Amino acid sequence: MKSNQPLNSEKVFRPANLDELDALAAQTAEGVTYVAGATDLLVQEERWKSARILVDLTAVKALHATLEVRENGVLIGAAVPLSRLIRHPLIRERLPILVETCRQIGSVQIQNRASLGGNIANASPAGDTLPVLSVLEAELRIGPRQNGEFEKLSLDQVMLGPGQTSLNGNRYIAQIFIPFPPRDAFWYFRKVGQRQALAISKVSLAVLGKKKEEKIEEIRICPGSVTPQIVRAQKTESLLRGQPLTEERIEKARAAIECEVSPITDIRSTTEYRRRITGELLREALYLWLRN
Amino acid sequence: MEIEFKVNGENVKIDVSPKKRLLDILREDLNLTGTKEGCGKGECGACTVLFNGERVNSCLVPALQLPGSSVVTVEGLRRWKSYPAIERAYVEHGAVQCGFCMTGFAMSTVALLKEQTFPLSREEIKWGLGGNLCRCTGYSKILDAVEEISHRDDILEQVHEDWQHEI
Ligand SMILES: Cc1cc2nc3c(=O)[nH]c(=O)nc-3n(C[C@H](O)[C@H](O)[C@H](O)COP(=O)(O)OP(=O)(O)OC[C@H]3O[C@@H](n4cnc5c(N)ncnc54)[C@H](O)[C@@H]3O)c2cc1C
Ligand code: FES
Ligand code: FES
Repeated sequence: MKSNQPLNSEKVFRPANLDELDALAAQTAEGVTYVAGATDLLVQEERWKSARILVDLTAVKALHATLEVRENGVLIGAAVPLSRLIRHPLIRERLPILVETCRQIGSVQIQNRASLGGNIANASPAGDTLPVLSVLEAELRIGPRQNGEFEKLSLDQVMLGPGQTSLNGNRYIAQIFIPFPPRDAFWYFRKVGQRQALAISKVSLAVLGKKKEEKIEEIRICPGSVTPQIVRAQKTESLLRGQPLTEERIEKARAAIECEVSPITDIRSTTEYRRRITGELLREALYLWLRN
Repeated sequence: MEIEFKVNGENVKIDVSPKKRLLDILREDLNLTGTKEGCGKGECGACTVLFNGERVNSCLVPALQLPGSSVVTVEGLRRWKSYPAIERAYVEHGAVQCGFCMTGFAMSTVALLKEQTFPLSREEIKWGLGGNLCRCTGYSKILDAVEEISHRDDILEQVHEDWQHEI
C-alpha cells in the first residue's frame, strides 16, 4: 500500500484493493476521512482542514468501478460516479427514478465525481438520492468485512440524522444493492429547490407504486429534506395500500402526509411551507398516477 | 506528497500538499492559468477541466487523487483541431463578452458533444451546460452557438477524432 507522510502530518492512503482497505480500516485507531468524489468534502472547509488521515476510496476498484447488473437488481460500488449510472442503458431502463434523481444533482461536472456512498455518508437530510434509495429499499453493504462478509443494512440504519451516521470505527459503505421494481411500476421524484441547476433541495418527494386490478397493491412514499431522518410516510402509505386510487383518496392522502411529516425548521424554509409543499407534491404524484 | 500525472499529454511530477486543489496546482505549480477560479465551490464551472476523460470542477479535486491520472486543460484543448471552429461559433453568436467563463464553457462543450447522442435538443444542451455560469451574455447566445455546433457534422467528426487522441 502506498502511504505518504508529508511534513504537516497528513497521511494519505490509496488502498489498491478491498483487503488493503479493510486492513487499514480495522487497524487504524484514529478516525480516518474517506474521500470519494470530494464534492461535499472540499466545500466543508472546517471538516476538510481538520482531516488528518485521508483514505482515497476511488483507488479501490470494488468501490469505484463495481456496476453489476443481476437478474433482480444492480450492485453499485459506493464510490461509482453518478454519471455512470445515468448513462448505463440497463439502469436507465430498470431504475428510471434513480437516473432522473441523479440527473438533478448539481451539474454534469458534479455528477462525474459525486457518488451514492458520499450522498449517504454525508448524511444531509437534503441529500437527493436518500428518499429514492429509501423507496427502492436499497441494501447497503458495510465494510470492513467480518469473516469475509459485508454487513447488510438499510438506509435508515445508516443515516441517523443531520450529519450523523452509524458508521463509527472507520466503517464504510462498500456497495449498494438496489432491487429492480416491477417494470410497470409508477415512479415519481421531484424536488422543489431554491435554484434550478444547483439546488440543494429544500423539499423533495419520492414515490414508487404498483397497481393490481385497479387497486394500489404497493406504495412507498418518502419525503426528503423535511425530516431529520429519512423515513417513509408509513401512515400515509397504509391509507392508500389496498385501495382504489380515486380523487377522494388522493385528497385524504395529501392531508395525511401533511400531518405525518415533522419538518426541520431552518433559515431556508418555514415548517408550514415544507409541510404544505410535501402535501402538494404527493397530490401531484398521485394525480399523475391516476391519469396514466 | 509526490505526484506523477499527465497534463495535456505530458508527464509531470510535483511535490504538493495532498489537500491542494487541482485548480491551484494548475495555476500555481504548472503555470497553466487558462483555467479560472470563479466560486471555488463547484457552482460556476469556470475551473472545468477533463479529468481521466470526464469534465470535472478542478476546484473540487484534491491532489491526493491525482497520481496516475490524465488532465486536459484549455491549453491542451487549444491544440485540438476542432477548437478553432468551436471558438468561432461562440464568437459569431455573440456568446463571449468578458471571456472569463469561456474556458469552462469550451471544456463543457467538447465534453457534451462526446457524451450525448445526436442530434442534441435545446433542452439537452441546457442541461448539459447547466454547470457553467456566465454573468455577461445571458444563456441564449451560448445555447445558439452550441446548437449550431451540434448540427455541424464536420465539427462533430473532428471533435470525436480529437477525443480519441486525448484519452
Ligand atoms: C455545486 C454542488 C451542487 C450539489 N448539488 C447537490 C444536489 O443537487 N443534491 C444533492 O443531494 N447533493 C448535492 N451536492 C452535494 C454532493 O455532490 C453529494 O452529496 C454527493 O453525492 C457527495 O458524494 P461524493 O462522492 O462527492 O462525497 P465526498 O465529498 O467524497 O464525501 C462526503 C462524505 O461522505 C464520506 N464518505 C464518502 N464515501 C463514503 C463511503 N463509501 N463510506 C463511508 N463514508 C464515505 C466522506 O468522508 C465525507 O464525509 C452538491 C455539491 C456541490 C458542490
Ligand atoms: S471555481 Fe470551480 S466551479 Fe467555480
Ligand atoms: S462572458 Fe463574462 S462571464 Fe461569461
